[in-house]
Amino acid sequence: MSPDFLSTTYAALADPTRRAILARLASGEASVTELAEPFEMSLPAVSKHLKVLERAGLIARGRKAQWRPCRLEAGPLKDAADWLEPYRRFWEQSLDRLDDYLNELQVGEENDDRES
Amino acid sequence: MTARASADVASAPRELVITRIFNAPRCLVFKAWTEAEHAMRWWGPLGFTTISCEMDVRPGGAWRRCMRSPEGVDYWRHGVYHEVVEPERLVFSYVSDHPGGISGHETLVTVTFTDLGGKTELTLHQAVFESIAARNAHQRGWTSCLERFAQYLVNSP
Repeated sequence: MSPDFLSTTYAALADPTRRAILARLASGEASVTELAEPFEMSLPAVSKHLKVLERAGLIARGRKAQWRPCRLEAGPLKDAADWLEPYRRFWEQSLDRLDDYLNELQVGEENDDRES
Repeated sequence: MTARASADVASAPRELVITRIFNAPRCLVFKAWTEAEHAMRWWGPLGFTTISCEMDVRPGGAWRRCMRSPEGVDYWRHGVYHEVVEPERLVFSYVSDHPGGISGHETLVTVTFTDLGGKTELTLHQAVFESIAARNAHQRGWTSCLERFAQYLVNSP
């Protein structure tokens, strides 16, 4: 996945209302009206959030039915979950090395002290 | 996609948090993070060698490093220091450079060093949201600056 695509996913996920909409869609399709219910928000405001989610590929909207139900697309979410793993490996291993290095430094200091 | 997807959204992979305790005084651990000669010795996964390390450790200062993998592939990383509070806190942006001069998405790393009386607790937090928010705020800052400049040009005789 290209970095830009991941940025789009994260920009879409950065908003708490949009995360709540996704959580709601995780339990099944819903119309814009249904999605708007739990929020004190106008339909156009909800539609705006849905457009951001749709552009990020996080949801898809039905074409046939009049009410154009929204549904969750899980692919980009999984990609977003995967981004952390390489960073975790990187830091865990770097910090292991830092631990060894700090021990080395301090043993060196002790030896210096003994010599002086 | 029901419970699983819901859990993915809720536990949103928004940030990475790692906590470690080092058997070393806080000033030494901070030094290992902020002086190039020390940072080169440990930065990078096992088997990697840091072959270039430039760091201007002050707010607004840039850093740039290159790690060489055991297979001989070079990986460049860069960023800017946002906060430097010796010896307790470092905040810097972190960007992976991809071949062809393309930069990856930016993340924000916050490292805190807590003194445990001779030992040091280090907490590393890496997040992508804050970074997007910070960048947007920065862009807004520039936009308003440019708007003022445009206004100035319009008003100038």
